Amino acid sequence: MIDIVYFTIKRMITGVLLVLCLLSLVFIIAHAAPGDPILSTLSPRVSASVAAEVREHFGLDKPLHVQFTEWMRNCLVGNFGVSISHGRPVGELVATFLPNTIVLALVAIVIELVLGLFIGLMAARHEGSFLDRCVSSGSMVLFTLPTFWIGIVLLAVFSYALGLLPSSQMFSIGAERLAFNERTIDFIKHLILPAITVAIPGTAALTRYFRASLIKLQHEEYLTYATSFGVPRRKVFLSYELPNAVGPVVTLLGLELGTLLTGALVTETMYAWPGMGRLAVMAIVSRDYPLIMGCTVVAGAVVILGNCLADVLYMLIDPRVET
Amino acid sequence: MHSHNDKIMRLYCRIAPPNIVLSFLILTMLLVGCSRKKDAKSYPSGTSAGGYVVVGVEGDIDSFCPLFAEDVTAGEINDLFYPALTSSNFNQTIGFLEYHPLVAQSWEFENGGKDIRFHIKQGLRWSDGVTLTARDVQISYELYADTNVASVRQTSVEGLRKSKDGTIRIAEAVEIINDSTVLFHFDHPYPGQLFDAGLPILPAHAFDSTLHRESLKESPLNHWPLSAGPFKLKSWKAMQQIELEANQSSVLPYPAKLSGLIYRIIPDYHSRLMQLASGEIDVFPYINVEDALQLAQNDSNINVQSLGERFYDAINWNNIDSDVFKKSKGKKIVPHLLFSNSTVRRALTMAINRKEIVDSYLKAYGREAIGPISPIFRWAYNDTLKPLPFNPREASALLAEEGWHDSDGDGILDRGGHLFSFTLKIPSGSQLRSEIATIVQNQLKAVKINVKIEQIERAVFWNDIMEKNFDACIAGFTVPLQMQLDELWGSDLEKSRFNLTSFQNERVAKILAKAKLVENEKENADAWKEFQVILQNEQPCTFLYWMNDLVAVNKRVKGTQIGVLGISYQAGDWYLE
Repeated sequence: MIDIVYFTIKRMITGVLLVLCLLSLVFIIAHAAPGDPILSTLSPRVSASVAAEVREHFGLDKPLHVQFTEWMRNCLVGNFGVSISHGRPVGELVATFLPNTIVLALVAIVIELVLGLFIGLMAARHEGSFLDRCVSSGSMVLFTLPTFWIGIVLLAVFSYALGLLPSSQMFSIGAERLAFNERTIDFIKHLILPAITVAIPGTAALTRYFRASLIKLQHEEYLTYATSFGVPRRKVFLSYELPNAVGPVVTLLGLELGTLLTGALVTETMYAWPGMGRLAVMAIVSRDYPLIMGCTVVAGAVVILGNCLADVLYMLIDPRVET
Repeated sequence: MHSHNDKIMRLYCRIAPPNIVLSFLILTMLLVGCSRKKDAKSYPSGTSAGGYVVVGVEGDIDSFCPLFAEDVTAGEINDLFYPALTSSNFNQTIGFLEYHPLVAQSWEFENGGKDIRFHIKQGLRWSDGVTLTARDVQISYELYADTNVASVRQTSVEGLRKSKDGTIRIAEAVEIINDSTVLFHFDHPYPGQLFDAGLPILPAHAFDSTLHRESLKESPLNHWPLSAGPFKLKSWKAMQQIELEANQSSVLPYPAKLSGLIYRIIPDYHSRLMQLASGEIDVFPYINVEDALQLAQNDSNINVQSLGERFYDAINWNNIDSDVFKKSKGKKIVPHLLFSNSTVRRALTMAINRKEIVDSYLKAYGREAIGPISPIFRWAYNDTLKPLPFNPREASALLAEEGWHDSDGDGILDRGGHLFSFTLKIPSGSQLRSEIATIVQNQLKAVKINVKIEQIERAVFWNDIMEKNFDACIAGFTVPLQMQLDELWGSDLEKSRFNLTSFQNERVAKILAKAKLVENEKENADAWKEFQVILQNEQPCTFLYWMNDLVAVNKRVKGTQIGVLGISYQAGDWYLE
């Protein structure tokens, strides 16, 4: 256990250093990229003097190293600056949009886990059967389908043709006037399609991983040995087979969690879901440096946390893994 | 209204690509699903939907404060909150803006036209109950003019009377006579005086002078506006929706007839399209021509309305050598090797089939452009001019006349060892421009000119053309409703930042200078017509087309006055059938 704590602390320290490197890199790349946040944000009509005043206001007239050190100093005390395009503190914007992305990501992860593990298990149990062949080829097709296509089909079928689910946003118009439980149901209805859209490729990948792991393990001698000793099949599966098969899946989930928490741009755009992906892309398009950096901090932190979490979980599941 | 006029010379780089195939696919799917359209409306039970109109927009607004709002939707919404001294309408018969009382009940010109005395209506109140007085007008102009505030509308106060030191002292230039009278002093009479006196009025008590004006840009006031107009803000959920409700205390001119106007932010074009067809949104601004035509044909619930011909696209030929210009920091001007000659530019125009482009892409919603003055300005538009004909043979002859021949037989014209080869820059995200660029490339190839197309990200594209870092580019402008073209066509390249082609012409400079001084704009009609003749002869750029921006509206929404003044112009009068 001490090893795990030590490992976690070591990973966190490495993670912080990685985030710092990432921030420096993104800062330099963002500023080096052609384009001007003032030109992108202000109308071309705005006079050069006003543009210069705005530039000065946001500290963009200072040398790059001064801008970076100032930003870093403020960042360490939790001040990420003010978004040039939104005119609001970056921290406030991130705090508004991150929870929406977290909800979407977590629901998608749950769907991926439940469906991916279940379908993968069924396919592995019936290796070589018609079901297995369907799952193998079906998951490959779903994994390769572009997200926007999945989104359009789901929208066209479930929202427009059948009218079962709303097509965009997090709430219906006037939802704030509804009672809590009605509002929650309204929210869940809005969440279903984007969550499924996000989850489909992940589910397909997880299914394939889990199926492959299980099939590989089924032929391991220690399992045959345990079975021949009369250990019940259920116990063999739960105590020996499953923990070993889940390891690679946990790693995949860690990566997936990190990716999803940084925002699912295509899905967020299609369903008008106000999340981090849209915020980050808007920041990049308008060269909103403070917002780009704010999104980078969040993205870097969640990817590193996700990986760290996956590693720790992997160690807990499989004691053979060394710290 | 002002914000639309104020958005002059906004470079128009459309983002939503009119992906025809995808649109067709979606529309086909919709037609299958339309039988259930009533059920698809996502109003939860317990909500009164009857009094609401939903507008589907691509992006969120930037600010609820006219000092900083740049976004078109923000401008339209702010116009519903912050009234101006005057309201205006566009007289389409003569193509002129006409001014009517709004906050001011009347006005008169004094001092030989240099001053305007406005009499403010009594009993006007902001949505928090505070009375709107002359002080609000003065403070508003103080904020617009304050360099610390850095308002995007700072240039609109430049016509006000300056002190001896050359600065504008608002307390003197916008003089409060009493609570209901305010006197504007201008440097000299000019056509846009009423226009410039028509900036949105801000509530003085909210923008108290004790505020740090440098940080006004980040003030919560920009997100929670007061209103004296027909609507007021009910709620704003960033990147989700903006909900306006009727401002029952408004007397400008009265509370909105609708109970609410909701702007749903739906970034994906095709999602908006599907929601329009399913009835989830009622108004879809800037719908593509192809989709508009299909909807108008297949969906009897949809009306397509036009915002008028205020937008044109052109191929801008850089008339000067951009490298030399940049290196000398704008001090040295050397003609461009390829595009400095007007005969060559005429040849380029004649080699491009503009009519085919209009017929293929814009159909009934566009027309060939002959210059930067829109046909909506009937008084100034030179209708005797016809577009240069498409005539590749004549174009080749003109190029040969200027010494461009294919001397080495490589299929590309050359002169003095220089090939007639250049890069045409276009902004990414515009399917229309992308296709036009390919057409231009092919048609110029027919006259032995080599064109490379470079599609670049919008921010970079904008940066490049402002720095004159291009040979040729496709870019367009939305024209102002006040005839102000000096920033686009002025010969002083430092002042005229949007003279993309760096075209310089003495006579044009004189026409533009005179236009700013003439009292009655109509008196200048002949000069503007001459201006168009000069551009027709010189062809600094190849004007492609005037395009009608289209708005699809559900027929249940009545009373809309969508036109050159915008979408939500007079939205207070909208009602549901």
